Amino acid sequence: MIVKSRFPAALAGLALVATALAGCSEQSTADNAGDSAGGACDPADVKLVGQVRNESNPYEASWLDGGDAFAESVGLKQQRLTYDGESTKQQEQIRQVLAGDTDCLVMNVLPNGDADTTPIVKGADAAGAYLVTQWNKPADLNVADYDTWISHITYNGEESGQQIGDALAEAMGGSGGIIALQGILDTAAAKDRFAGLEASLEANPDVELLDQQTANFSRQEALAVTETLLTKHGDKVKGIWAANDDMALGALQALKQAGRTDVAVAGIDAVPDALTAIQDGSMTATVSSDGPWQGGIGLAMGYCVATGELSMDDISDEDRAFFAEQFLITDDNVADFVTPETDPADFECDNVFSRVAGPLS
Amino acid sequence: VTLTSPAEDVVAARPQPRRGVSLRDAGPPIALVAVTVVFSVLSSQFRTLGNFQNIMDAAAVLAVVTCGVTFVLIMGSIDLSATGVMAASAIAVALLVENNRNGNDLGFLGIALAVLLGAALGGLSGLLLVLLKVPSFMTTLGVSAIGLGIATLLFAGVQPNITDATLESWATERLLGFTYLTWIAAVCVLLGWVVQRFTRVGRYAYAIGGAEDVLALSGVRVAPYKVAVFTLAGAFYGLGAVMVTSQLGAGLVQAGADFTFSSITAAVVGGTLLTGGRGGVLHSAIGVLLIVVLTNGLVQVGVSPYWQGGVQGLIVVVAVAAAALPLRHRNQVVK
Repeated sequence: MIVKSRFPAALAGLALVATALAGCSEQSTADNAGDSAGGACDPADVKLVGQVRNESNPYEASWLDGGDAFAESVGLKQQRLTYDGESTKQQEQIRQVLAGDTDCLVMNVLPNGDADTTPIVKGADAAGAYLVTQWNKPADLNVADYDTWISHITYNGEESGQQIGDALAEAMGGSGGIIALQGILDTAAAKDRFAGLEASLEANPDVELLDQQTANFSRQEALAVTETLLTKHGDKVKGIWAANDDMALGALQALKQAGRTDVAVAGIDAVPDALTAIQDGSMTATVSSDGPWQGGIGLAMGYCVATGELSMDDISDEDRAFFAEQFLITDDNVADFVTPETDPADFECDNVFSRVAGPLS
Repeated sequence: VTLTSPAEDVVAARPQPRRGVSLRDAGPPIALVAVTVVFSVLSSQFRTLGNFQNIMDAAAVLAVVTCGVTFVLIMGSIDLSATGVMAASAIAVALLVENNRNGNDLGFLGIALAVLLGAALGGLSGLLLVLLKVPSFMTTLGVSAIGLGIATLLFAGVQPNITDATLESWATERLLGFTYLTWIAAVCVLLGWVVQRFTRVGRYAYAIGGAEDVLALSGVRVAPYKVAVFTLAGAFYGLGAVMVTSQLGAGLVQAGADFTFSSITAAVVGGTLLTGGRGGVLHSAIGVLLIVVLTNGLVQVGVSPYWQGGVQGLIVVVAVAAAALPLRHRNQVVK
């Protein structure tokens, strides 16, 4: 009986969903047809959406602030979306945004993982929304195959791993033993950054890698692992290379507890605590991808294309997927990064590709 | 010689004495000794005094958290709330003692409040369990989410770093070679053992885990004791979070991220059964040492990090299987 009573209801529900979906896709195709020439939007009609994982992380919060700064500069408002690192929630939010008016819609998205990028790209393409993605993309998904996916921006982990490796070597006077704290071993970020360290070690033959362990990008695990490695290698440890700042901060705490002040520490990400540590001299270096710029640039690219100031035809294939410039921060330049700000000049339509450091290989 | 009721005498065809050291309890300590000996032979760095101190210091927080979860396991329930409870307590303590976010400087009162917050969240798990009759698996998972929610709200985007000299000294100052944290953990284990052995809450926890229906039929009101056990566990998690905050010098939402499962693993490896009624705080303490010695030893002997996770898992499985071997002859149902 239960089955009988529920079945028609379920059927009705399904039918409703199907109708809604059909309605959506019909509307989207229409939009798409109108948009494919690109760039006929009145600047006031452009809708800006920024989406990151969460705002309880200083880097991603600064990303959205950068988006707000750009939106304000063109007299618009950015819609701030966060999905708590849950892939399903991200897809749901994207579907909701795409279900609305997608004329002149610009999205600057941080996909949760590589696999999440594909449905976002396909959804945006079907709806004719302008899209910029950052960090995560499956290698075989080609940006140039899509009309409104303007660009994919990411950072060269090998380069940053090498930069802090070199900074560490310099701080140690070119020789001595170091230990490396790796990230989650099966992530691309951890692999690339460690490959960068290996390149740096080749260039600095007197620096010896005493040990490498994983601390899974976690401050707490880094503390425990560093304590163990300090007892294992003792005074031979002159430097600690960490694949992110959280682990570098954990290592700093371990050094403090061991009463060691002669060890150089470097990380990646430029989190606020790491910048403070560089300022007070306890940490050597970190690398910044410039979160506020990332938040602004995706919206700026979309805005420029939507309003016709930039034509998709003029964007070279190398600019459709690229490594962006990143910045090594040491005590020389840390003051410039402590209060992250955006430079409006970076977001002018002629300059949106000014930080291309190289094509994505 | 122990006193048993006549009824129990009839059924009691147990091959082992009910008190004292039995073969069942000997497995984990033997494993601990064996693992320690093997690592000592393989690595000269492992057998140094400095590394022994390091192992004890590294075990401190896990020991306190495992103490808490042990009581819940003895009762036959499960507690998955350590992650959330610790997150809330860690951020709370960082904001209550001297820190870089606000003008608070409550010192010990702040630490006590953070532990109380942990106890309150634990009590909430217990209340939900006995009032709504929701299985502990679900209530504690829910309370964990509540704790993470509280922590995220308090975190508000800016890391609270502690500047309180007392709390910082817990991780850095040493007494007889061990950090204050290690001594705090030792006191907790002792305290846990006293509660387990000499108080009504402790004794009833075993009875609830062994045969709750029998206990209820004999006129004992079980519910208050269940709530008390979860509250006690929450207090231990709260203290664990305070200790993590002392170690890291900062209140982190992720402070308890790994502790839910590593504490349950440690308890089970030590011989506390998930089915309840067996094991105890001292068993769990052995389990904690076994886990920490493994983690430390694998690094000291230089096992590649790519292999460590797998090797550690394998050794834990073997250790648990060996520890459970003496139980095999009983008609124990495994599920």
